[in-house]
Amino acid sequence: MFPAFRPAKFRPSRQTRLKALVFLGLFAAAFVTIAFVPVPARFDGIAGVAAHAATAGPQTLSPISIDYPLNGSIFPPGITPPTFLWRDAAGTSWSIDVTFAGSAAPIHAESTGERMKLGPIDKECIADSNKLPQLTAQQAASWTWTPDAATWAAIQAHSVSGPATVTITGYRDGHIAYSQSRMEMATSKDPVGAPIFYRDVPLMPSAGVNGVVSPLSPSAIHLIHWRLRDITRPESHTVLRDMPSCANCHSFSADGKTFGMDIDGPANDKGLYAVVPTSKHMSIASKDMVHWNTDGTVGQSRVGFMSQVSPDGRYVVSTFAGPDLKLPDSYYVKNFLDYRFLQVFFPTRGILEWYSRQSGLRTPLPGADDPHYVQTDGVWSPDGKYIVFARAVAEAPHDPEVPPATHALDANETQIKYDLYRIPFNDGKGGTPEPIEGASGNGMSNNFPKVSPDGKWIVYVQCKNGQLMRPDSQLYIVPFKGGAARRLLANTSLMNSWHSFSPNGRWLVFSSKARSPYTQMYLTHLDADGNSSPAILIDNATAANRAVNIPEFANIAGDGIDDIDVHVADVNKPDVAKSDVVKPDASAPNESRPEDQKPEVQKPGGQK
Amino acid sequence: MGKSRDVQLINLRSFLFPAACLLIGTRFIAAQSPCVPPDDMKPQLQGKPTAEALNNLGVWFADQKQYACAADVFASSMQLEPNQKDVAHIAFEFGVALDLSGDLKEAIPAFQEAEQLGYLDIKIHVLLAQAFDATHDSKGAEAEWRAAIDIDPEYSPALDALSNDLLADKDFDGVIAALERPRLAGQRTPLQSANLGVAYASNGELDQADAVLRDGLNTTPDSLMLANLLANVLVGLHRGDEAVTVLQLALIQHPGDADTTAHLASIRTAKPARN
Repeated sequence: MFPAFRPAKFRPSRQTRLKALVFLGLFAAAFVTIAFVPVPARFDGIAGVAAHAATAGPQTLSPISIDYPLNGSIFPPGITPPTFLWRDAAGTSWSIDVTFAGSAAPIHAESTGERMKLGPIDKECIADSNKLPQLTAQQAASWTWTPDAATWAAIQAHSVSGPATVTITGYRDGHIAYSQSRMEMATSKDPVGAPIFYRDVPLMPSAGVNGVVSPLSPSAIHLIHWRLRDITRPESHTVLRDMPSCANCHSFSADGKTFGMDIDGPANDKGLYAVVPTSKHMSIASKDMVHWNTDGTVGQSRVGFMSQVSPDGRYVVSTFAGPDLKLPDSYYVKNFLDYRFLQVFFPTRGILEWYSRQSGLRTPLPGADDPHYVQTDGVWSPDGKYIVFARAVAEAPHDPEVPPATHALDANETQIKYDLYRIPFNDGKGGTPEPIEGASGNGMSNNFPKVSPDGKWIVYVQCKNGQLMRPDSQLYIVPFKGGAARRLLANTSLMNSWHSFSPNGRWLVFSSKARSPYTQMYLTHLDADGNSSPAILIDNATAANRAVNIPEFANIAGDGIDDIDVHVADVNKPDVAKSDVVKPDASAPNESRPEDQKPEVQKPGGQK
Repeated sequence: MGKSRDVQLINLRSFLFPAACLLIGTRFIAAQSPCVPPDDMKPQLQGKPTAEALNNLGVWFADQKQYACAADVFASSMQLEPNQKDVAHIAFEFGVALDLSGDLKEAIPAFQEAEQLGYLDIKIHVLLAQAFDATHDSKGAEAEWRAAIDIDPEYSPALDALSNDLLADKDFDGVIAALERPRLAGQRTPLQSANLGVAYASNGELDQADAVLRDGLNTTPDSLMLANLLANVLVGLHRGDEAVTVLQLALIQHPGDADTTAHLASIRTAKPARN
């Protein structure tokens, strides 16, 4: 074949040398005039080490880069031991000293250095379209220390009333200290108090017939698992697997007693929604299925998007295309073969509708049903009186004049920037939507709101365009009534989204790709003023080549769900309703979504 | 050979003279001794060779590192069948062949044409960027490096090269924006750490420069470049002792390195004078 793609023609050594010289030149003038100030003992360390270093080592200790946990981290009580990660240009062995604010005895440990390792691989999830996870350069250079259970328990016990100081000291040539850094970490008084329900998915995009790219081949849908994680336990528990049909967004009522989940119906029309009581052994049968359009009054499209069960479990709010629009008229969808960000998906038209479990009817919510806008991502305030949602001017999903996007954040994506709004539910009568100051009109796309259980805060996602799986997504917090929005300290370097509050409101779980293209989930602590702490990784949530998806706290016991049985015949029952959407390649591992479809472009406001 | 390269691809698509093209093909095959097809392909090249046969021959020439011959054959193929199924890919291969044969000036429009024909791949941006860099068109190169990074934010060669180009243009904010964009944690190469550190330092943000260079050095402890740059920043921050330590550690990794030894001596010389 043709010669392999050539590596870049750079000659770093020459450029490097040049750059170094340029830089030396930049500093040359300052260098000769700098008044040298002796460096104070910035790295005083624990007494013995520092004294030894002062006599036998270099004049100053080189700072170590402590990558995890970050300074200021707050751990939930009872969480399994974390793996400390650091990089050090100087040391070849290390001591780890933990001191406490109170009178507790310090803890000393030694490490000859173990490198960071990847977790186990799920062989079933290896595909031509993905790559096995690899350590980044930084990760490959990282040294690790994982305290044993007893040591970690002691650290946790003594770091509640005040932070513990962890000092890592690097040595060369035996015991000569060359490097040192320290960080503070604390254990919160606030328990997480609930398990996390999440979807565990392979990242295996596939090109089907006609070249249509699908996020997951139908033959691989059975690889999707739903799992429950009690963070005090080392592993997650799989509660649902081998589903013949894809299922997507899930939500729990505030009391954890009711569970709802989008389920793809016949011909993958996404037309089913399951609402069931939460229990140890759950069963989803035909009687539990909501067929979104059986009443025939609220439009042709049966897709519910981002459905949310109300706090009392009586209602479900969701996004629908509206009375006159079909699915392709209302969603921007592009799937890619790049497994890292394999899909762009967001609604460009749609209204909020609420479903009454008692009456079995779904009804547009006045004030959030304006066809000139897309209204989506509706979530309930904890008292059920308000719905917070994302809104933008309605647009055609696809502009035929614009080339198709080829990757996430492609400038050719349909551009849409949502603002957050609040509207009274008012027993389904709705009201006037009000923009939420701080989360609207800021030139960014504000989306995926979640209201804190005490009703004081909204945590939402900001990104440049659209929503869901955005590489640049960052978490922000804003008062429920609006005000100054603040970026959460917990944000990582790549994709921060799909967050959920713990029932006590003190913890937020969210997903990120900072450590790996295979999404992982993290925790952050939120204090009463809405300040967050650096992200805490929930270890071992899935295989290293699978992604954690849609994590959500469930207000149930840590082992509150053992298994969920979905009756296959019911899910695939062909006579549910006549499908108005036919997909060539049915599956959707990341959201309730339609696949690539030929768009039918309509002008905004074209709906009746 | 050169004559066929002069033909603009965009014209080739509508310039359908198969007979003439065949003549070109057979002419160079017959006339140019280096461009001799293998015996087992000759039957397919007799009479009226198909575009597929020419494409196979182009690939064969490329495998033999006869890139000029490959370029001619690919050009002939596109002349013969400007609407062939994989014309975008053939246009790309034509560009690569030109590039590898050393004809960068012609390779650039060939790659651009391949892109217009729908060859959407990061490789085309990288090759174009390299060609622009080689022809000293830094703006063109920057645009192509950015296009490559848009497709793959983790593509290190593009980030290395883009930050190099931006630094050469003294666009320090541009360097920072390019290297601080959302991406996997810890993916910076030593060159990216160096460029980012220089950009911050040049903007007067020495603490940031210190952090970035220290981070880079802790990832690649054997990098003399990072050690020397970090030492300079530390001196700028009035932390000469730390600068000395950094260079001492660098010399442990690279004993006797002349530049670093001189740098260390200069810091030590300056230090007592200021004390």
